[in-house]
Amino acid sequence: MLSVEAVSKTFGGVQALRNASLSCEAGEILGLIGPNGAGKSTLVNAISGVLRPDTGSVKLAGQDITGRGPEHCARAGVGRTFQTIRLFKDLTVRQNVEVAHITCRAVRPDAAARIGVDQLLAQYQLDGFADVPAGTLSYGSQRRLEIARALALGPSLILLDEPAAGLNEGESETLAIAIEGIRRDVGCATIVIDHDLRFINRLCDRLCVMDQGQVIASGQTEEVWRDPRVIEVYVGQSAPA
Amino acid sequence: MARSDVAQAIENTAPSAAVAQPGSAMMRSLVGGLVTALPVLAIGLAILNFAPTYYTYLALGAFVNLIVVVGLQVFMGNSNIANLGHSAFVGLGAYGVAILSTPLAMKKLSIPNAPFGFATLQLDPVSSALIALMVVGIVAAVSGKVISRLSGVAATIVSLALLIIVHSVFLNWTDLFKGNQAFFGIPKVVGLPWMLVFSVVVIVAARLFKDSRWGLQLRASAQSPQAAAALGIDARRLRLMSWVLSALICGLAGVLYAYFAGTISPKLFYFQMIFNTLAMLILGGMATVTGAVTGVIVLSVGLEFIRSIESGVTIGAIQLPQLLGLSGVALGVVIVLCMAFRPSGISGRHELDELLSRFFRRNAK
Repeated sequence: MLSVEAVSKTFGGVQALRNASLSCEAGEILGLIGPNGAGKSTLVNAISGVLRPDTGSVKLAGQDITGRGPEHCARAGVGRTFQTIRLFKDLTVRQNVEVAHITCRAVRPDAAARIGVDQLLAQYQLDGFADVPAGTLSYGSQRRLEIARALALGPSLILLDEPAAGLNEGESETLAIAIEGIRRDVGCATIVIDHDLRFINRLCDRLCVMDQGQVIASGQTEEVWRDPRVIEVYVGQSAPA
Repeated sequence: MARSDVAQAIENTAPSAAVAQPGSAMMRSLVGGLVTALPVLAIGLAILNFAPTYYTYLALGAFVNLIVVVGLQVFMGNSNIANLGHSAFVGLGAYGVAILSTPLAMKKLSIPNAPFGFATLQLDPVSSALIALMVVGIVAAVSGKVISRLSGVAATIVSLALLIIVHSVFLNWTDLFKGNQAFFGIPKVVGLPWMLVFSVVVIVAARLFKDSRWGLQLRASAQSPQAAAALGIDARRLRLMSWVLSALICGLAGVLYAYFAGTISPKLFYFQMIFNTLAMLILGGMATVTGAVTGVIVLSVGLEFIRSIESGVTIGAIQLPQLLGLSGVALGVVIVLCMAFRPSGISGRHELDELLSRFFRRNAK
């Protein structure tokens, strides 16, 4: 579904991404992890069109969307959430989801027909608050609303940038179940960035580990954790051979 | 436990959650617009039937302001960008019909040297109005191309520049606009009834736009440009759309003003009008059409009261001195107090019909 090939991006003198490549299939949940500053958010921004990579390409279902701008990428089927929550705070919860659905209806009517706004609200336990301003929701609900809104776009790829940040254990478990629901109901490719490794391990089929702008390892979750380079990044020393 | 809270909440709102059809949403918006227009209609009809002529004249001015403020709300309320140039469009509408519809005998006195054959052209009021609005639309589309690419302060400064450009043209292209002097002899074809009709139409149109998918998308992009872009919303196109619609409504106000006053001059469409109408919108609350209407009603009445004491009044044995400029001071104070203590204005976030239905639902329980 998504294939990112050899993407590089330099800000001033800092190379934020070096030849980063990854792929994600429909129905797959890919975890994107790495220490702070590894380039995870930059990569997400490159995929969602916010940043134009210096070199490399981003393809969604065979269509080249490299550096086409966020509006174009969204219309092509990339949904995303943000590291810091960005809701339309004065609009109601329902309107937040509706506005995404309206846009989807305009560009991909067949995908829109499969999504019900009420159904999404119910699935993310937001139906009780449908008519209150989004800004008044609790933190956890805001996180869920951001995901529901991205899904109302009828995406074929969804990028979740630290969805579990600031959630307690119970809330992140609820969230994990909800994200698994995406695979079951929507079947889109899902990329999750997070620092909560327990959350990531529980949720993801595959992992992609980044450090200093490079993808240093990728593969099945258990395999990746046996990779000495990954252990070095996370534990700070090489594992005994 | 959280689960049971949610279940509780669902039960509470179950009846209202059932409505989501696009057709019914538009119907609700239309009805909402009409409800918002009701107070205006009531005031207008009262004045029409009971008030002396002097008040009718005052009311006509207030209705022009109403249409301008509603026009202003269409852009400012939805895009959240301050507009300081809207009276340029009011002026263009007014001068447009003045140049096109003034009788030839009058034109011989006022603009004998008008270029493009305008000195010998006289159209009927309706065609003149349509052409004037077309000109407003074209100027709005061109200026909107620039403004829609910007946001925040930059866009506001460009709107101000537009005002100054248009005003300079009115002042200095004397062959066509008669410069600083009053342009008189415009046919007086609009009275209070027409003004009322257009006020209602404009209020409903503003409400329909706000609730339309474009209005919703524009309001979303004003609150979080990044999130809106990530949903594929083209904010520039929507800003342009609302700018042009807003300009057309302001232009209509200008057309109506010219047709009821019969005489116009450039200074009418300059800073004074900007401040008056902006204060009305801020006081009422720019997020809603109801806010625009409320602000106009409250401030029109308030300013008229202040003007009456400005020239000095006698209460019993006490003679108050003249307080010239009091209305200007009051206007400034209104903006300052409102910004400081209630930035969302009198009506806040809710439209009149939404407030009413909440009120009745609460009382029904």
